[in-house]
Amino acid sequence: MAFQILLNFLLAFTWMFFESSMETSTFIIGYLLGMLVIFFMRRFFSSRFYVYRIYSIIKLILIFLRELLLSNLAVLKVVLQPKLNIRPGIFAMETKLTSDWEITLLANLITLTPGTLVVDISPDNKILYVHAVDIEDAEEAIEDIRGSFEKAIMEVSR
Amino acid sequence: MRTNDIILQTVTKIVSFIILMFALHIFFAGHNNPGGGFVGGLLTSGAIVLLLLAYDIKSVANSLPIDFKIMVAVGLLFAVGTGVGSFLFDVPFLTHAFGEFTLPLLGKTHLHTAVLFDIGVYLVVVGSTLTIIQTIGEGE
Repeated sequence: MAFQILLNFLLAFTWMFFESSMETSTFIIGYLLGMLVIFFMRRFFSSRFYVYRIYSIIKLILIFLRELLLSNLAVLKVVLQPKLNIRPGIFAMETKLTSDWEITLLANLITLTPGTLVVDISPDNKILYVHAVDIEDAEEAIEDIRGSFEKAIMEVSR
Repeated sequence: MRTNDIILQTVTKIVSFIILMFALHIFFAGHNNPGGGFVGGLLTSGAIVLLLLAYDIKSVANSLPIDFKIMVAVGLLFAVGTGVGSFLFDVPFLTHAFGEFTLPLLGKTHLHTAVLFDIGVYLVVVGSTLTIIQTIGEGE
């Protein structure tokens, strides 16, 4: 991905020299045309066309913002309840992610989902221990959310 | 025995991008400077010929799954389309129109329908050159 972005910048500068104009607009046009050329030649790279990855990063950010809003509303609901009828608990969750930053990102995203909090990670980076505010209905719903997060992160790193 | 052309392939990977970029420059320079659809198309096919020299015909066909015969047809369609389009405005065949527009990035630009015709020329040149080269290359 980094190589493709670097190449795109190089092509944009090449375009500026071809046009002998050092303006920002020429750079942007060169960048867009370079993106077109890289898209045309995308199968010669070992990794995907980098714009797909940027798209999945934006998607991950949007998921993050949505979950942040939802988790705060859920906490608001729990706090404002007159009776405290929650059943907290801790469960283990396996993850397929391998690199350090992926696991950190997943843990932080889980912490921001409604009613869950990552307590600990096993030494071999395979299992996350998650504390749930309401363990009864949590398990299923959290598996779903975790699936969407893990998938979104994998789409970024794949 | 096959020789290892890693140097040729690596250099080709970078150089072909610069050639394609220069082809685009030549293509857009056509109106006021030397250049245009024909040389632009030849340069583009030159870049793909370079790829064909560095890799074998099969891997290039896999990486660029384009049927160049269809590309010729699309190019001719562009050229005829700009000609026929002039009928919509009650003017003779192939009458071109132009105007000054203010675009977000380019600033004040002189847009001309001849560019559409040029795209047709470009596609036909790329398509026919590569059809010739691939047909000769595939024949035993």
